[in-house]
Amino acid sequence: MTRLDSWGLTPLLRELRFPLVAVVAAFLVAGLIVLILGDNPLDMYWLLVGTAFTWPDGIGYTLFYATPLVFTGLAVAVAFRCGLLNIGAEGQLYVAAFAAAWVGIELADLPGVFLLPICAAAAILSGAIWGGIPGVLKARFGSHEVINTIMLNFIAVALVSYFTQYHYKVPGDPILQTAPVGEGAHLARLGSIVPGLPERIPLNLAFVLAVVACGLVYVFLWKTKWGYEIRATGENPGAAEYGGISVRTQIVVAMAISGGLAGMVGINEVLGYRHRYYDGFSDNYGFTGIAVALLGRNHPAGVLVAALLFAVLQRGGVQVDAFTADVSKDIVQILQGLVVLFVAAEAMFRFRIRPAAERVA
Amino acid sequence: MRLLLALAPLVSAAACAPGAADDPSRVEVGIVFDIGGKDDRSFNAAAWAGVKCAETGFLPDGRTSCGRPPLGIVLRDVEPGTPTSIEPAMRAFAERHYDLIIGVGFAQGPIMEVVARDYPDVRFAIIDGVIFEDDGKTPKKNVASLVFNEHEGSYLVGVIAAKTSRTQTLGFVGGMDIPLIRRFAKGYEEGARSVNPDIRVIENYVGVTDAAWNNPGKGKELSMAQIGRGADVIFAAAGNSGLGAFDAVEQAGTENGRARRFVIGVDSNQNGVKPGFVLTSMIKRVDTAVYDIVKKVVDGGFTGGFHVFGLEGDGVGYVVDEYNRDLVSPEAIAAAEEARTKIVAGEITVTDAMAQ
Repeated sequence: MTRLDSWGLTPLLRELRFPLVAVVAAFLVAGLIVLILGDNPLDMYWLLVGTAFTWPDGIGYTLFYATPLVFTGLAVAVAFRCGLLNIGAEGQLYVAAFAAAWVGIELADLPGVFLLPICAAAAILSGAIWGGIPGVLKARFGSHEVINTIMLNFIAVALVSYFTQYHYKVPGDPILQTAPVGEGAHLARLGSIVPGLPERIPLNLAFVLAVVACGLVYVFLWKTKWGYEIRATGENPGAAEYGGISVRTQIVVAMAISGGLAGMVGINEVLGYRHRYYDGFSDNYGFTGIAVALLGRNHPAGVLVAALLFAVLQRGGVQVDAFTADVSKDIVQILQGLVVLFVAAEAMFRFRIRPAAERVA
Repeated sequence: MRLLLALAPLVSAAACAPGAADDPSRVEVGIVFDIGGKDDRSFNAAAWAGVKCAETGFLPDGRTSCGRPPLGIVLRDVEPGTPTSIEPAMRAFAERHYDLIIGVGFAQGPIMEVVARDYPDVRFAIIDGVIFEDDGKTPKKNVASLVFNEHEGSYLVGVIAAKTSRTQTLGFVGGMDIPLIRRFAKGYEEGARSVNPDIRVIENYVGVTDAAWNNPGKGKELSMAQIGRGADVIFAAAGNSGLGAFDAVEQAGTENGRARRFVIGVDSNQNGVKPGFVLTSMIKRVDTAVYDIVKKVVDGGFTGGFHVFGLEGDGVGYVVDEYNRDLVSPEAIAAAEEARTKIVAGEITVTDAMAQ
């Protein structure tokens, strides 16, 4: 037990109890809605959850959909551990994806050993800068990061859209996307590595990177001095300052790391999937990341699980839309909303249950 | 208790519903809509009407007959909502070996190209797009590319516009400045010039990005400017932005009960949008094209490659109905019908701005 505790897992399991109840409750309510609509809820459950785990397409696509959500979930979680709410992951990932494509186009002739890491670095760095700006604004002028990250989202989307349209589109292409990146910037699909997984499934090495990122964020936050300083700032900035931690520096660092993590979505999208920047590619990954972090209790392992859950819903949503008579894909959005709602309602439960639990302890 | 009574039939209906099991002996058709979704009252809606007609013999409202027999198909549809959902939706149908998978809109072209390559035995159809083999020249064998001769239909409304205009000045408001829309403009202009070689045609585009389809404010602004320069018939080929032109002609008002300026609708029949102000609509029969390709699959006569829908077979055309019967003169209709006959017979060749 003590060994587990040193990994931070026992508290995590305890933390995951409520999200689990919330998910089950949300599924039950959604099933009731489907029943009222006149379709069979069991069919809906199968389409929603069962098809997400068929081999190879179900699992392949589910993990592919989970990849960006792991990155944005981590991004929000890291900022949150520092007491900051990063609503700007959406803008950060747009800037990063475009930067990765831009480098991939401009340096297209470089061999892959150089081009791939440079493109990936461009994505992380540009995301970090875009996330760092509101960090600096907060640290220097005290302006609230929620407002600034939202505003920077609008700027990011408009900016990359402008560059795509007027400078990097193939002339005559009616679709708003850039020219393709150089061959060297293509990240290998897992289908070319894992036997039995067809290469047509867009799941790529970025997923492995996402899992590794979870591990790194965990080690960083709980096993290093810098991570401790960030968490200390989040828990109690006054005490942290008193203890010799520069709160201002921590704010900037946490926001930059958060932005860099969000920027990794660009690696999956541009280098691993489309091999070009496609305008409007993000399915609100940045905002779903907030729900992922909330559900995952701002812990990397929780984020991974929560991202998988949302990916299952995304994969299943298409199937439900296609293969039921009356239920549309909106049921998935209702389900997502219910999950978040029930997780948020946890505060109420906790308020009632905790005193009892403490008495037992 | 009342609630329980209301729920009871629903619950029992759900209990004996056949569920997701489809009858494999029937032809299975899957359709993947554009981001706009099937209720956009225009392009996607027309495709939806076509497949719904093939499934039930009725329009999507479930009451009005579509005038064609149902084909006994199993129909499934997906509204992707996001760009990342289009490919898995298409693949979901392909994995289950559907007999026909329809993609709505040219934006699905690159995705269908990849999926059609992975499933060479599955038949696909794309509306407004063309898909080639890897050599970039031969049309793909298992994909039917459904394209429309918009320039021919535009020619006819150009004739009607020129016959109606008192100022002999016409306007054209295009959405996004792309070759497809230039095609509408060129046909319109040629039709007008066939009536009066000296007629003036003012041509404007809302923009050069996707946003150009969805900016009614700019569409109205351009139309007002054209009206200011004397245009009294405006052809709007601009998606949602075109509705701005409808507002502009309405604002120009009426004189002795007749509108002073007119607008010409596009794609779907928009005559009823502002009754009295809409001269006619240049329609693309996406519904007919979709129904026909489904029918070919059912009859076993599916062929890949280009399926061109022109004036012949009413793939494109103009509408005269109860909303505009009093607006278009019999003379204008006679001229348009004559032009139609000549184009079909090959006596008139309308310039195709996309082929240039």
